[in-house]
Amino acid sequence: MDDRPLRIAGPKGSLYPESVELLGMAGLDVSGLADPGRQLRISAGDVEYIIVRPSDAPIFVAYGGADCGLCGKDSVQEAGLPVVEMVDLGFGACRFVVAEPECSCYSAQESYRNLGVLRVATKYPNITKDYYDSKGMQVEIVKLAGNIELAPLIGMADVIVDITATGTTLRENHLEIVDDVMESTARFVANPASLRVDPRVGELAESLAAAALKRGRSAPIAGSDQPGIK
Amino acid sequence: MIPQTPRGFRDVLPQEAAWREDIREAVQDCFASWGYMPIETPALEVQDVMTAGGGDAGHFLSLFDIDGKLLTLRPDVTLPIARMVASRLGDDQGPFRFRYCEQVFREEASLRAQSRVNTQLGIESIGLSGSGADAEVIALFMDALEACGLEEYTVAIASVEVLRSLIAAAGMDQSWNAKLLQAYHSSNLVELGELVHLSDIDPAYASALLKLPRIRGGKEAIESCSQLLAKLPGRKGAQDPCASLLATWKILDATGYSKHLVVDWGVMSSFDYYTGLVMEAYAPALGASLGSGGRYDQMLEAYGRDLPAAGFAFSLERVMQALVEQDKRVQMRRVHRIDASGDTIAMFREAKRLRGEGLRVALDYAAPKGGKGGRDGR
Repeated sequence: MDDRPLRIAGPKGSLYPESVELLGMAGLDVSGLADPGRQLRISAGDVEYIIVRPSDAPIFVAYGGADCGLCGKDSVQEAGLPVVEMVDLGFGACRFVVAEPECSCYSAQESYRNLGVLRVATKYPNITKDYYDSKGMQVEIVKLAGNIELAPLIGMADVIVDITATGTTLRENHLEIVDDVMESTARFVANPASLRVDPRVGELAESLAAAALKRGRSAPIAGSDQPGIK
Repeated sequence: MIPQTPRGFRDVLPQEAAWREDIREAVQDCFASWGYMPIETPALEVQDVMTAGGGDAGHFLSLFDIDGKLLTLRPDVTLPIARMVASRLGDDQGPFRFRYCEQVFREEASLRAQSRVNTQLGIESIGLSGSGADAEVIALFMDALEACGLEEYTVAIASVEVLRSLIAAAGMDQSWNAKLLQAYHSSNLVELGELVHLSDIDPAYASALLKLPRIRGGKEAIESCSQLLAKLPGRKGAQDPCASLLATWKILDATGYSKHLVVDWGVMSSFDYYTGLVMEAYAPALGASLGSGGRYDQMLEAYGRDLPAAGFAFSLERVMQALVEQDKRVQMRRVHRIDASGDTIAMFREAKRLRGEGLRVALDYAAPKGGKGGRDGR
């Protein structure tokens, strides 16, 4: 049954270079990944890579489109689908924060007191909902696809929940961080059924864990200036 | 108006329906050959009764009836059977062996391409316990999968007693235990590692907790689990929670059931209401399990009965997907057509005779247009 290639979902975008590096360190043939052009499926011996958006990786893996994949913890959390989180790969560190306009004339808390509901703009509605549910706060979530920082500045939302690596974009838009929601790094995730029937998934997890450890020693992750997930 | 079915529901056309029927019958015959009796429960249940037994209302497909009562479409068949044993079978101690084939319903968010109905084939063994009863449930699961025509499949087994006794002996506080179980249940090995590393747990227990979900194999996987536990401080002389699984394995191995069987201590990650044996069946390239089961001795307590119980269910749709993956599509039984446009009485008689010989025969009452052949209902 192992004549079929092991299908690995790799994230395009900012997580891509480090994902390829780690897969290579784990002993896989990644030569075809250096410059895939517009190819979305890349065959390399007994593995096949598919290149997907990081937020789609858990969907491909959970529904069996891929046996395993690499993506941010944020994508796993947002998708809320049954995948096995196997390894923390250490790179792509960023955090989820709540931010609001820094001008003193405005207070999101005051608005919440008056209206009993907070308007939150985000790209991550599920993570946002879980966070406010855990605080017992009622919120109205506006899902946007990008430029979230704009929403509170023009009065469309009171606060934003967004991802940040350094906080620069937030500062440039006069937003200040008021709370931490969660931290995220890249993960190796597996389809539960593939993990049980295909020993290559577990083996790859072990090699990736060793590679991540090795890489982590030479380039510390915590507080590093690695780019976040865009 | 476009006449559509609701999202997640579909019609099954004759060719597929005939195939489904063949598999259902083969599986029911297999269940029956082990002495299991058919049972039927209502499509609708009272929602509170289902949640009392441990059902997750978040995935119920529910509705209000005209009395304002909150009802739910049967989320599985295990809970209704437990309810039935408690409410209909009085003090009868059994043992009961039940089999079923029913549609079960599960609410799914839109945009996820998931069906909201599934056909489950399964059994319940109630009032029986011990390694023989466990072995019976596992063996029957495998017999049933073979009856479907599957050649490549794996049944992974484990016992939740191991994790429970490990956690209990580790002596951590309740909230940590709950988080650890949650990490196990959601198969989050990263979280599991963090919980263990960031706590002040005894290092021997820490390493055992991290090793456990990665132990996998044949009989030796049970033995290495036993050894892992025996080495832990403070567990000298304690009962070995692997003993009953080992006894079960021996029965299955001696009777030719070990070929498709693996012990996988990671399997317990998928469960929370099981009390002993847990199992899950997989087929290659499917991306989802075929079905699962185990022992849930405390479930009937929710309905006021104290009887041990075990069982399993698997999805007819997933099995058919696996059969297609394995190129095991069976040939439909042929329907013979007879032209009865001339002497209808004679052909009626002839068809009756052929049916008596076991053939499937349909009659055509209008002369076939343009030569022979025509639609044969497939």
